[in-house]
Amino acid sequence: MKVRRLSFTLSIVLLLAMLGPFGAAAQGDVVTIEWWSVASEEYSEEAQRGLVEQFEAEHPGIKVNLTILPESGFTEKMTTTLGAGEGAPDVAFFWDNNWFPQALDLTPYIEADPDLGPETYFPGFWTTRAVWQDKIVGLPLGVGANFVMYNKAVFDAAGVPYPAEDWTTDDYNALVAQLANPEQRIWGGDTPRGPYRAIWQNYGAFPYSDDSMTVDGYLNGPESVASYTWLWDLVATGGTPTPADLEILGTEGTGPVDLFIAGRLAMATLNQGHMLNAVEAGVEFGIVPEPQVPGNDRYVNAWSLTASVWAGTEHPDEAYEFLSYWVGPEGQRYLMEHGNLFPSIPSALEEYEGADTEYAQAFFRVLELKQVAEWANAHPCKGTVLRAANDAWDLVMLGEIGRDEVQATLDSLAPAAQAALDECRERLGG
Amino acid sequence: MLSSWRKMGPQARREALEGYLCLAPWAIGFVVFTAMPLLVSIWLGFTQWTITQPPKWVGVDNYTRMFTADPLFWQSLKVTVQYVLISLPLRLVLGLGLALLLNLKVPGMNFYRTVFYIPAVISGVAVALMWMWLLQPDTGVINTLLSYAGVEGPGWFWDRNWALPSVALMSVWKVGGGAIIYLAGLQNIPPHLYEAAQIDGSNRWQRFWRITLPLLTPTIFFQLVIELIESFKVFTEAFVITQGGPLKATYFYLLYFYEEAFRNFNMGYASALALVLTLVILATTVFIYNTSDRWVYYET
Repeated sequence: MKVRRLSFTLSIVLLLAMLGPFGAAAQGDVVTIEWWSVASEEYSEEAQRGLVEQFEAEHPGIKVNLTILPESGFTEKMTTTLGAGEGAPDVAFFWDNNWFPQALDLTPYIEADPDLGPETYFPGFWTTRAVWQDKIVGLPLGVGANFVMYNKAVFDAAGVPYPAEDWTTDDYNALVAQLANPEQRIWGGDTPRGPYRAIWQNYGAFPYSDDSMTVDGYLNGPESVASYTWLWDLVATGGTPTPADLEILGTEGTGPVDLFIAGRLAMATLNQGHMLNAVEAGVEFGIVPEPQVPGNDRYVNAWSLTASVWAGTEHPDEAYEFLSYWVGPEGQRYLMEHGNLFPSIPSALEEYEGADTEYAQAFFRVLELKQVAEWANAHPCKGTVLRAANDAWDLVMLGEIGRDEVQATLDSLAPAAQAALDECRERLGG
Repeated sequence: MLSSWRKMGPQARREALEGYLCLAPWAIGFVVFTAMPLLVSIWLGFTQWTITQPPKWVGVDNYTRMFTADPLFWQSLKVTVQYVLISLPLRLVLGLGLALLLNLKVPGMNFYRTVFYIPAVISGVAVALMWMWLLQPDTGVINTLLSYAGVEGPGWFWDRNWALPSVALMSVWKVGGGAIIYLAGLQNIPPHLYEAAQIDGSNRWQRFWRITLPLLTPTIFFQLVIELIESFKVFTEAFVITQGGPLKATYFYLLYFYEEAFRNFNMGYASALALVLTLVILATTVFIYNTSDRWVYYET
């Protein structure tokens, strides 16, 4: 009896000894980190709060305070907060490249992390969204990409074979002409939503030189002329919706998915969200990359969101712990299963419930292509230059110039684009 | 001021203090939310500032670039002035016309007044989207109706020659707001003037030209200044519908300002642009004000 009592007492003492200091330490050492995010179709607020709960359960020493901001104002709030130098969140989306200087250099963390590294992610997204000036400034969350979706019913009705993945820009124009049926108000395909995206880069066309010094010979170089001429030919088929049609019938500027689902657009350049819309609508469709130019590199307009740790955080270790959970395999898997996120991690993406479908496989293959963003991200003056040169696009789209006037039009715009480039380069410090 | 304060009795002091207290919310709001941002913005106009980096003093470089090397500045200013010249007279005349109709004594007038005022309180974005549908060249209601009359409608917002007039036409949608102001002015005109003129044998046109219009000039003056400022601030329509196109035909000044400030985060240059617009509006308003004694009639 004495032994049992002694044993019981010792057990209690031991238990208290174990719980006491640890419990006190756990209470005292809980670190709260601020996380700013947005809610979207890919990750709802509910899903993100669920992720926080799961993280906190696995990491009792860290509490995550999630603030969901409206997507429309996120950029302004982050920019002004980072500019003020105080009050920024420990962890947040750093989707604007201008914020990268304010992001914590994660290189030592990644080097010390056995579970996370460049090989974890799709290479294109790691290059474009994680690395900046030889530093790792964030991790890429989710993937998105543009590709051409074709409506099988419209193709079948026209007796036209489906496009193959190795199709060319000329094939695209020929198919548009074949599939367009004005009597039934069916368009063969849509036009790109702007120059110097995938098809322009497939032609090898860039608005200015890689060193950001020269417009002449690039904006109006043979590659640019060829790509604009291709656009001219496409518009001339009469088989594409006009800018007015697309403005009205497009879907929030992301692509005319409603027209596509309704069978009024045989081919449309859409994205993975639209792909899910089409699946939900029961449309039979296929996916191919945007058409290539034989002999040239092939590009995809793809995107991912950089998530990062603010350089001014007082809790860098805990912030990285959460970041690597949120944007690592666990977090991206969780958001895939509880939302519509397509992970930027191939091993997680393979677990997508429809991964073995024809369309999903085609989408995954598109993600392996070279990315438009590789050039665009390294050239912050691109937007300014294109604004100066945008008239060429309008003139072709409105059918206001002849095919043989493309070169002259681009030549005439080059000086203004050069001036815009010079001003931008100087403003950004050369 | 201090000496006059000393001369005041306790009652007068208390009243003065209460007066200042009542003024304080507005005064503080004005200083914090208008005057200070305005002064900071003027200062920023002389800097290069991308928000994430500290502002860098560049003197008058922003203004030199604007006036000598920035075609977009001149294009956006030209388009905006053209818009003002088209839309302002249109809105003033139609607003007055509508007010005259709403001043008629017919049954159900309060209902009509409410209906015509509603567009003034509807969100600009919703209105822009509605007009985008109405003026769609192929399937829009306006061109469909025109086609019934055998007229081939233009491309409206998507035609370089029609885009600007389309935005100006769209601005007419909101004349109900101005009409209510005119209506208040019309109802302040003493009825005995009309009665006297009628006894003297005047017709409707003469009464409008000799009585209504002169006595309404203070209201017209007010409307002119307010609508002028509003016209220079045109933005939503271009932002939602045309994005400044086609071929920069609707590239309004505020759209350019917005792109510089919130897309390129070129806050220094954007602040300089804002100051120039403020000065243009100020100069135009002062000009109108200085001419007002020649055409505005105040009944004593």
